[in-house]
Amino acid sequence: MTDTTTQGVKRRDFLKVLGVGGAAATATGCSTGDVEKLIPYLVSPDQTVPGVSNYYASTCRECAAGCGIIVEVRDGRAIKVEGNPDHPVNQGALCARGQSSLQGLYNPDRYRQPMKREGDALVPTTWDDAIGILAGKLAEVRAAGTGSRAVVINQHEQGSFPVFLDGILGDYGIAPHLSYDAEAPLAVAAANRAAYGAAWPAIDFSAASLIVSFGADFLDGWGLSVPQQLAFAEARGKVEGAPRFIYVGARRSLTGLNADQWIPVRPGSELAVVNAIAGKGAIAAAAEAAGVGAGLLEGLAQEIRTARASALLAGGYGPEAGAVASAVAELNKSRGNVGKTIKPQDGYLAFEGVAGHAEIRAAAARMAAGEVPLLIVRHANPAYTSAPGVGFAAAMDKVPFKVSFSSVPDETTSKCDLVLPDHHALEAWGDAEPVRGTLSLQQPVMDPVFDSRATGDVLLAVAKRGGDYRSYVAGRVGGNAALKDAMPKAMARGSVATRSASRASATPAGAGAAQDGAFFLMTYPSPSLGDGRGANKPWLQELPDPVTKICWQTVVEMHPEALKALGVEDGEIVTVTTSAGTLTAPVFGYIGLRPDTVAVALGRGHVGAGRYADAGENAWQLLATVEDRAGAAALAGTKANVAKAEGRQRIVTTEGSGRQHGRGIAQAIALPALLSGEAGHGHHTFEGQASTEFLPGLRSPTANDAQGDMGVPNSKDKGQYDPDHWSGAARRRWAMTIDLAKCTGCSACVTACYAENNIPTVGGAWQGPQILPDRTGFGANITRSREMAWIRLERYWEIDREPKDVVFDPEHPDFETRFIPMMCQHCGNAPCEPVCPVYATYHAPNGLNVQVYNRCVGTRYCSNNCPYKVRYYNWFGYGDPSRTQYAFPEPLHWQLNPDVTVRQKGIMEKCTFCVQRIKEAEHRAALEQRASVGEDGVRIDGLRPDEFTTACAQACPSRAIVFGDAADDQWSVAQWVKDRRAYHVFEELNTYTAVVYLQKVNHPAPTASATA
Amino acid sequence: MATLAHPDEPRRPNIASADIQLPAVTSYEQVDNEILSILQPTKAWFGALLLALACLGLGAFSWIYQIHQGLGVAGYNPPVMWGVYIITFVFWVGIGHAGTLISAVLYLFRAGFRTTIYRAAEAMTVFAVMTAGLFPIIHIGRPWKFFWLIPYPNWRLIWPNFKSPLVWDVFAITTYLTISTTFLFVGLIPDIAVLRDRETNPIRRRILGVLSFGWRNTEREWRHFARAYLFLAAFSTPLVLSVHSVVSFDFAMGIVPGWHTTIFPPYFVAGAIFSGFAMVWTIIIPMRRWFGLRHYVTLNHLDASAKLVLFTSLAVGLAYLIEFFIAWYGGVQYEQDYFWNRVFGQWWWAAWIMLTCNMILPLSLFSQKLRRNPTWLWILSIFINIGMWFERFVIVVPSLSHDVEPWQWSSYVPTWVDYGLLIGSFGWFFMWFLLFIKQLPVMALAEIKEIIPPKMKHTHGHGGH
Repeated sequence: MTDTTTQGVKRRDFLKVLGVGGAAATATGCSTGDVEKLIPYLVSPDQTVPGVSNYYASTCRECAAGCGIIVEVRDGRAIKVEGNPDHPVNQGALCARGQSSLQGLYNPDRYRQPMKREGDALVPTTWDDAIGILAGKLAEVRAAGTGSRAVVINQHEQGSFPVFLDGILGDYGIAPHLSYDAEAPLAVAAANRAAYGAAWPAIDFSAASLIVSFGADFLDGWGLSVPQQLAFAEARGKVEGAPRFIYVGARRSLTGLNADQWIPVRPGSELAVVNAIAGKGAIAAAAEAAGVGAGLLEGLAQEIRTARASALLAGGYGPEAGAVASAVAELNKSRGNVGKTIKPQDGYLAFEGVAGHAEIRAAAARMAAGEVPLLIVRHANPAYTSAPGVGFAAAMDKVPFKVSFSSVPDETTSKCDLVLPDHHALEAWGDAEPVRGTLSLQQPVMDPVFDSRATGDVLLAVAKRGGDYRSYVAGRVGGNAALKDAMPKAMARGSVATRSASRASATPAGAGAAQDGAFFLMTYPSPSLGDGRGANKPWLQELPDPVTKICWQTVVEMHPEALKALGVEDGEIVTVTTSAGTLTAPVFGYIGLRPDTVAVALGRGHVGAGRYADAGENAWQLLATVEDRAGAAALAGTKANVAKAEGRQRIVTTEGSGRQHGRGIAQAIALPALLSGEAGHGHHTFEGQASTEFLPGLRSPTANDAQGDMGVPNSKDKGQYDPDHWSGAARRRWAMTIDLAKCTGCSACVTACYAENNIPTVGGAWQGPQILPDRTGFGANITRSREMAWIRLERYWEIDREPKDVVFDPEHPDFETRFIPMMCQHCGNAPCEPVCPVYATYHAPNGLNVQVYNRCVGTRYCSNNCPYKVRYYNWFGYGDPSRTQYAFPEPLHWQLNPDVTVRQKGIMEKCTFCVQRIKEAEHRAALEQRASVGEDGVRIDGLRPDEFTTACAQACPSRAIVFGDAADDQWSVAQWVKDRRAYHVFEELNTYTAVVYLQKVNHPAPTASATA
Repeated sequence: MATLAHPDEPRRPNIASADIQLPAVTSYEQVDNEILSILQPTKAWFGALLLALACLGLGAFSWIYQIHQGLGVAGYNPPVMWGVYIITFVFWVGIGHAGTLISAVLYLFRAGFRTTIYRAAEAMTVFAVMTAGLFPIIHIGRPWKFFWLIPYPNWRLIWPNFKSPLVWDVFAITTYLTISTTFLFVGLIPDIAVLRDRETNPIRRRILGVLSFGWRNTEREWRHFARAYLFLAAFSTPLVLSVHSVVSFDFAMGIVPGWHTTIFPPYFVAGAIFSGFAMVWTIIIPMRRWFGLRHYVTLNHLDASAKLVLFTSLAVGLAYLIEFFIAWYGGVQYEQDYFWNRVFGQWWWAAWIMLTCNMILPLSLFSQKLRRNPTWLWILSIFINIGMWFERFVIVVPSLSHDVEPWQWSSYVPTWVDYGLLIGSFGWFFMWFLLFIKQLPVMALAEIKEIIPPKMKHTHGHGGH
């Protein structure tokens, strides 16, 4: 907020006064300590109108990418984070992690004031005291001249802050800080820098006819997931001329599942494979090393040789990732891809100046040796995100004074002596330079939730320099006036100062002594929790992993064949042992994994990092101290043994059956078949089906919709689309298309829906029954399929048997996967409507299937009768603050969207097509005097085509979801529903859905025969 | 009337005949004394009542806990949104049907063997419907809003949705409860008069007097009584068919595989009568033993009812087989997958409990020896009760857990709350029944007296009364 800088009276005092009035209107307001704060501003800034949102542009800080965001602020509270459409990085899209920044802002476990150590405990203190202590310590360090030995670790972020930090601390003689990012792909960045001159070139997937990923999980949160996904989905959405995609890697990640072909090479053999393809080795030998059929590699080499333009991407987390990346870069150069599909000139700057695991290890060694007088950490959590061999936590004990600027408790901060909680990024000023020459600015969108202070301001106070960090940021863009001008879009031309990279470098630890173990261990940053930083956000914990569909739980992934060999079944507890440590967790059979490999996601199993972060197990404990040549931890560089242990746990999964059983839910078509028009229209017909007239723009028979003549072909009765209909003609048929050729299954839409529609998370260990619960622990409710996600991502394996019976065939390891987002289909002839005894669900004239929460008595018949199973029931009082099961503990409930009801226990809820957004747009049109009354006396709402969209469509980084009015050809959705790939799910049930899916398109190998 | 001279009962009584005798019952006084002696409370009775109250208490606690916490404390596992409560609802509604069948349909058909068992069966009906009626309320998410299902005038002009089978249920159950209660009460009037005449306590005497409508045993009263009884029997008869048909619509009107089938109404009615007779046995067989009523409920009676049970078992079994046939013949993949999963997949154990208890074990009733063995009939009745509960389980749970959308397939495990309310329903039912048998005659005195020869005619072997 550019102009809410000072207020005469403290806001909280006002609230208490206000609360006395507010208490009369609330049941709970018996004491002023427990008042409902109805409107946070008593005297509001000029542009704040109660009930009308303000939107502030800023920059996302959840990972290093630096996406632009727009934060919706209602009555002084941030309620939704969306992508900034004008931003060069993310173009309006935003991943689940970015959207969950709100739950970092409102995290109930945040430090509420500065803390200092007294004995074993951190106790609250005042800012004056805390700043005094820090100033004293820094003065000591300066006086003793030991500053060069102090260690400062900051969570890697782009922008000016690193330079600012070095500048202030430099005055005390402190060496430049370590900008640590445990999930940064440093080896690839270094190899790219050497080969292309840019650490992270933009990939023009659209220009490619072939994409080959050597373990590059560019859709899993690796690198810059949003721009990568945007480009990939755009390319695949072209259908004709879309690139074929081959994934090479031992574990099929989300990226791998989006590939047309999977070549599961053994971990560690990637370099041999790339070299063989480049002609620097025998294919047969490489295939032997990789443990796959030579035919697969020959085919791959052949395709790369003959591709018109290919994009070859290196990734992976092995110790040789750097060498693989260099080899792949050479291959790209030799194929002439650089400048065509790999565009270094459009590169991203996310990974400049990142410190690796090796540097953290070197720092820890110095700490352990007692050389370090002072440790300062900010947001980084090296005690968790480092291999146990580093011994970071133990080394911290040898440091006489440790300071943390983190705003949430974590493993590192809890061992510190002084905590000066930083503002959340949504409360603070900052900048980033995600692409060369463009500054992406970060501004506070609301008053601080707690008594925190921006680290920049604290350091300025400590150094007694005067001014504030805002002025510093303003200085980067040319002064206060320029900053004010830039803030509406939060972007400015300019560059941040680059750091002098003069910090001591560290030698990466190689694979070292041969490790024993029957299995290769692959750990990988969780697509939702990252390296662990998202673990205390319930949205991210509850977001099912896009691949395994498991949430709130750490599982040991093994191939079903390996499970059989071990004599265990899904859910039985196994112990994974490496040279570094052990991990005990339930085992899960995953068919997209080599049988000689086990995989465990990182990010869960925190200690003391908040109430939600305790879920699961910590896979960092398994990692041997192995680093790639750029110094990043080799997450896939350890060998492991797996042994059966006692017991069994239910897998916390949202998956029922992972196969479609021939039901045509997620349909796909091979490109040749589509082009030849064989199965072109994708219309699922059955014997005896009557032909039907279609409403212009939507495959919903006019005669059969709403209150028309059900099932009578060629009827003249147009139901509510009849202009003379007694209830007033429906002007709109709200509808949605979802292009499965674009959808990658990333699940950003799911989190968007949680944020927009106040969907409770139900996986907390305390959110179940209170007396004699038969299922306990995190995710207990979800083991009973009680998750509430109005939109869910179904992931279907196209295999001919149950996953547990799948056998790994090195010659033909491939299988197809299909993702399909499933939400209320807003049927024209909805099975849920007639069975409700109290009309709690009924059909609105604009095609919406409406759920009236206040009328629902909870018979749940509607859910039984829903073929799509998209209705969700409030089993407990998730929306009731007095309940243990309450899903929004203070202040998480500040995020709740005031336009959407928080549902009470005992009622049904479901996707509304974001009816509040429809209404908001209609109201806006009315206020702007666009609405009118037509000749027939029916109101015309005056909406502009594509004026607004639903939360899921807005967030989708694949741009797969299009929402709008299918009855009006000017809306884009009306064009999409005419696509030859369009189909309805379960069309044979005559539900006449408003959600139209476009078939996924498979790109078979050029020589292979086409199969759908 | 067959020969009274023969002390032995006929081996093969005709169940469709009014021609039935109680050779060991010889006088009206004997009837009054023997049947009214049951009304004396015993220690065993108090013990049984205490047990029933304990079960009821468990159910009440479970329900209160559930209302407070939310339905999540039960074992619901979406998409299995209906569970033990709906199963138990259908189970108890079904139990009720035998009572009406015995008291009304068999009355109209002049099936004599009904006479000594119909009162207990009719009381069972009323209490079973009272039990069943609770379960839709227990089952819904906001039970305090239950009245929204009832069409009552309100200023908002909101009516229930008459398309919804659940609203039909409200009508079916309330109608059934009203009619069966009335029928039970009307049949009791002459017997209450007997109680009144023998009562010494003036207050009780007064109450019984009111309840008996001042019955004076006149010809005119008997004529009116008989017409009223006949009328009510005729009124109740269609309910035997309609109520459970409506209950079956709860399922048949849904498009869930395994539910959406036209065979459900007859199938449910047959199943209801089948289960109801089993419950009659469960109650009557111990009663005839403990209360010394073997000469009222004779082996002939049991034999005759066993034939009805055998018939309904065959009808139910046929319905099971037709379901499989139609699933195959219909060619709908969802149905085929569902039936396969029901019998050979996830739910094989429940399906086979159902098939064994309802189809296979009742085949033993083809043997006359077993039909006339009360112990076997009682054991069989327990199996049938279990089997019929599982029939509803198999209809409700496997269908929902294996619906059209494979991604949402799931399982279902009830919790202690579900079991608590199931046990509580038995406590509730038996509490009422136990109170009933100590307050009112458990057999129809007047009707039994009709079939024993009047004393003044005892010299004649033949001739009616």
